[in-house]
Amino acid sequence: MASVSIPLLQALTQELSGIPASPGDLAIAATQLGSQLDGLARLDDLELLAVEPATVLVPSPEAPHAA
Amino acid sequence: MPPDDLARLSIAEAGDLLRRRALSPVELARAHLERIQRLDRDLLAYITVLRDEALAAAAAAEQEIARGQYRGPLHGIPIALKDLVMTRGVRTTCGSRILRDWVPDTDATVARRLADAGAILLGKLNMHEFAYGPTGVNPHYGTSRNPWDRHRIPGGSSSGSGVAVAAGLAAGALGTDTGGSVRIPAALCGIVGLKPTYGRVSRAGVIPLAWSLDHVGPMTRTVADAALLLQALAGYDPADPTTATRPVPDYRRATQGEVRGLRLGLPKDLFFERLDPEVRAAVAAAARTLEGLGAVVEEIPLPKIHHAGPASFAILAAEATAYHEPYLRTRAAEYGEDVRARLTTGQFVLAHQYLKAQRARQVIRAEVDAVLTRVDALLTPATPVPAPRLDEREITMDGVTEDARWWLIRCTRPINVTGHPALSVPCGLTAAGLPIGLQLVGRPFDEATLLRLGHAFETASPLKRRWPALGP
Repeated sequence: MASVSIPLLQALTQELSGIPASPGDLAIAATQLGSQLDGLARLDDLELLAVEPATVLVPSPEAPHAA
Repeated sequence: MPPDDLARLSIAEAGDLLRRRALSPVELARAHLERIQRLDRDLLAYITVLRDEALAAAAAAEQEIARGQYRGPLHGIPIALKDLVMTRGVRTTCGSRILRDWVPDTDATVARRLADAGAILLGKLNMHEFAYGPTGVNPHYGTSRNPWDRHRIPGGSSSGSGVAVAAGLAAGALGTDTGGSVRIPAALCGIVGLKPTYGRVSRAGVIPLAWSLDHVGPMTRTVADAALLLQALAGYDPADPTTATRPVPDYRRATQGEVRGLRLGLPKDLFFERLDPEVRAAVAAAARTLEGLGAVVEEIPLPKIHHAGPASFAILAAEATAYHEPYLRTRAAEYGEDVRARLTTGQFVLAHQYLKAQRARQVIRAEVDAVLTRVDALLTPATPVPAPRLDEREITMDGVTEDARWWLIRCTRPINVTGHPALSVPCGLTAAGLPIGLQLVGRPFDEATLLRLGHAFETASPLKRRWPALGP
């Protein structure tokens, strides 16, 4: 699990996002983020260079076998 | 018929009696309201009970049916809505303190469609606060109790929906599903839960958790009842531009079809890793049952599905925090601790991570689409474990310890990432008497095949019509 610094998160809330957060919530956030960072980095394994984002997932194309 | 027996009728059974005027909608509504009064002090399925409104609507339905103005199979059927579905003139709390007294001035499209079909609204159902959690634990209204064991969670976030339907406190209910919130409580409470294809059912007027992952779906005691509710709910809605314009098939007829020759894929990747042994055995037995009905079952690879978890995390966290940002700035102290901490986390998901997740989603969906050209549906557990205890924060299996929440959502959240339809059907009970859910995943907009498979399995299953022991 990656390590995420609580003081870094504190600085980000104060200087960038402006969303207030308690030390307790930041500690949980650090743990949750740390548990996900490796998985987020591994998304690169999917070779995404030619893939556009689905910012809003539109209905899938007509499926040939769908009822 | 005794009131408790009336409350145990399926929607299809009650609807048939109502159509033939062999049962009064008022009698049926009273049976449910009496049961709510008697049992819900312990079960905590409801946040708001609409006793007078329900009886008035039932009386009106009775008069309409007597005049020959029968609207269809939901006319006079008592149902309930998860309390994030907007209802005009009725408070919609989202299971939160922040919206405790909020009364919308409009109905969600799904609420209006059920009312137009003649369904009787009994009330609004408990849930995980703002739908942000799979346990159903709620610090504001109390945690709904699993009717099969009141010391265990019902699953969430549509916890009250699962409990109300399982305990006969509503004939059917609506839930919403962003990472499994229809299918998890359905599995843990021993009922049927359907997450339709993204775009099949309108989200307009349903308070979002994450716009691109949210789905609205029926929760019922039988697959045929899920088909009846979906029939009323499905279809294009100009108020929700993500709804599809393609025609809505006859779902009731779909449940009657044969399953002989249908091909089912068992994706061993992710879905069958680290399972509770009783869940593994029940799902294997379900596969054999479907094989006995003539389906062909084969293992299939789905290696990219492992990436769905991180993608789901980034999308859900970022979208939820974006929606809640105004409340976080002004009313943060009014959230429950678990939800506020999760919303705090979302502000640290970087924009490029969110977009990477949305790009990954296309690749993962394409892999599932490709597999579904070879097989008609996927067959998996709905949850890797049966209902955890109320105080069980972590679960260890095969030497791996993780937060109970991650265990609960592992098999369901990938299908929110891909948007495919998925059905949870009861497939067994553990030795301790806890329900186990089977998940069937289908092609986009092919809910009909899932309903056909689910109904055939349910009919062949020895579990049919088992009820939790609820006491006097």
